[in-house]
Amino acid sequence: MIESKDKKLSFFILLLPALLIYLSIIIFPIGVSTLLSFTKWKNFALVGFIGVKNYISIFTDPEFLQALWHNIQIMLISILGQIPLGILLAYLLYRKLVRATRFFEMMIFLPITISAVVVALLWNRIFSPVGIFTIFMRMITDNPDYVVTIFESPQWAMIPILFVLLWMHTSLYMVMFLANMQRIPQSVIEAAKIDGASESAILTRIVIPALANVIFTSSIFAISGSLKSFDLVYAMTGGGPVNYTSVMSIYLYKHTFTYNNYGYGSAVSVIIVILSVGLITLSRSLYGRYQKKYE
Amino acid sequence: MQKLNRDISAGWRLFAYVFLIFFTLITLMPLLWMLYSSFKLQGEIMMYPLALPKEPTFKNYQDAWSIGHMGIAAINSILYTGIGTFFTVLFSLAAGFALTKFNYASAKWYYAAFTLGLLITVNSVIAPLFIMETRMGLYDTRIGVILPYIAFGLPMAVLLATSYIRGIPDSLIEAAVIDGASYIQIFLKVIIIVSTPVMATITVLTFLRNWNEFILVFILTSGEHMRSLPVSINAFAGRLNVNYGMQFAALVIGTIPMILFYIGAHNMVIKGFGEGALKE
Repeated sequence: MIESKDKKLSFFILLLPALLIYLSIIIFPIGVSTLLSFTKWKNFALVGFIGVKNYISIFTDPEFLQALWHNIQIMLISILGQIPLGILLAYLLYRKLVRATRFFEMMIFLPITISAVVVALLWNRIFSPVGIFTIFMRMITDNPDYVVTIFESPQWAMIPILFVLLWMHTSLYMVMFLANMQRIPQSVIEAAKIDGASESAILTRIVIPALANVIFTSSIFAISGSLKSFDLVYAMTGGGPVNYTSVMSIYLYKHTFTYNNYGYGSAVSVIIVILSVGLITLSRSLYGRYQKKYE
Repeated sequence: MQKLNRDISAGWRLFAYVFLIFFTLITLMPLLWMLYSSFKLQGEIMMYPLALPKEPTFKNYQDAWSIGHMGIAAINSILYTGIGTFFTVLFSLAAGFALTKFNYASAKWYYAAFTLGLLITVNSVIAPLFIMETRMGLYDTRIGVILPYIAFGLPMAVLLATSYIRGIPDSLIEAAVIDGASYIQIFLKVIIIVSTPVMATITVLTFLRNWNEFILVFILTSGEHMRSLPVSINAFAGRLNVNYGMQFAALVIGTIPMILFYIGAHNMVIKGFGEGALKE
């Protein structure tokens, strides 16, 4: 590249808008958050530094542990539900086992355009006494008074939310996997076909191994995504009844903006960042070990 | 061997149809139900929840529009999404050019800093951001919403832009330098033009993200006049509203623009999400 005297200046003119906005709105607040997490607040004012007391209170608060467990459930449904279903859907479309693959792809991907708030309220209606689901269940069970009560159950209240998350996000994985399947050389599959390989053999022996990297990437995507879920849960149940459907971000929201305890809320957000980075680092090292073993 | 193979294929084919049709129905039915129910009045919804509207009415829409202040919310959504997306795209392309074609050793550090941003969610910074904006007088202003919109679009956008611009041949830039063009001119007249494909991908992804963004507007604004569609819908048609017809109308108003966008640009949307995943 040819040097010119305005090179350094141009470099900064081009880089600075993005860098400044990014640093001041994302990185700087993370630093502030970390500092705030060691402080106590009362009536919108900083009272003083209290060391790691916030963290201790958080980890001994059953409400937080319950919220954390719900985040883990969301993570499990993403990794064990959305990803496998996404692979299967993508495979059916990729192998052109049906006509009108473009039509199916377009329809199944549709929810991605809809805001989580709308999805949440729509499904609330579907589970309501005049909703499709309720009416359908009344027909199956032959009980005209059937209503959805699962939301009130402390053990099962998360099930409708997990189902809606599945409805909303499975197609995202489908599209990611489909885009990557299309890069597998067609000749490999034709050769397997000639050797008499069945569809399930092609899927499990050729396509899935070829996608190992993408499956790993999307698991990371799922992990970080499941720790941040807020919109859907907030609009659908607000974390309630009681805390039956609370997640960490709702716990964070409540302590920060309802109780105005910025220090406590910041500690929760630091925990979320550490969990996210930690889990991703862990899965990276596990995947690295797996790769070494099979190479 | 050949025969057996075809048999398996037929079973798979049947399975494929059943599975895909099931998924399509479970996607479409709720949306269609929402659409036609929005033309029914409360009484009709309670009496015949599944039936098509007997006498379709626009009353729900009129009510949602006037009582729910959906008009101003729609304008705000367009402003936040449009302006936010424009600057995310422009700034990420500029940064992508700076980070790939200037050969400064520091570039990889800046790049790493942007990658880190992929792991940081709006939730993690919302409390300090709220405090900062309150102190700086940006709370409850449009600029106070748009700046974070731009910021949170940047990490992914910079990644996509960087990996695309890296692939642009150096010779193209060298030729322009020999012709006496400055780097800024090269950016405006060469890089932006050559980067149209990645620009489209970034635009689509950022646009969708911004349009559906909820928590930023929810926390950083307080007045009805500052709300975007998702926040307005949640406030007005939320769990506590019992007028189902009006609620459905509000949901449809929130959904229709994006569905139209999707129908018009579904190839780009699907390609965008596929590519977004490849680059991560």
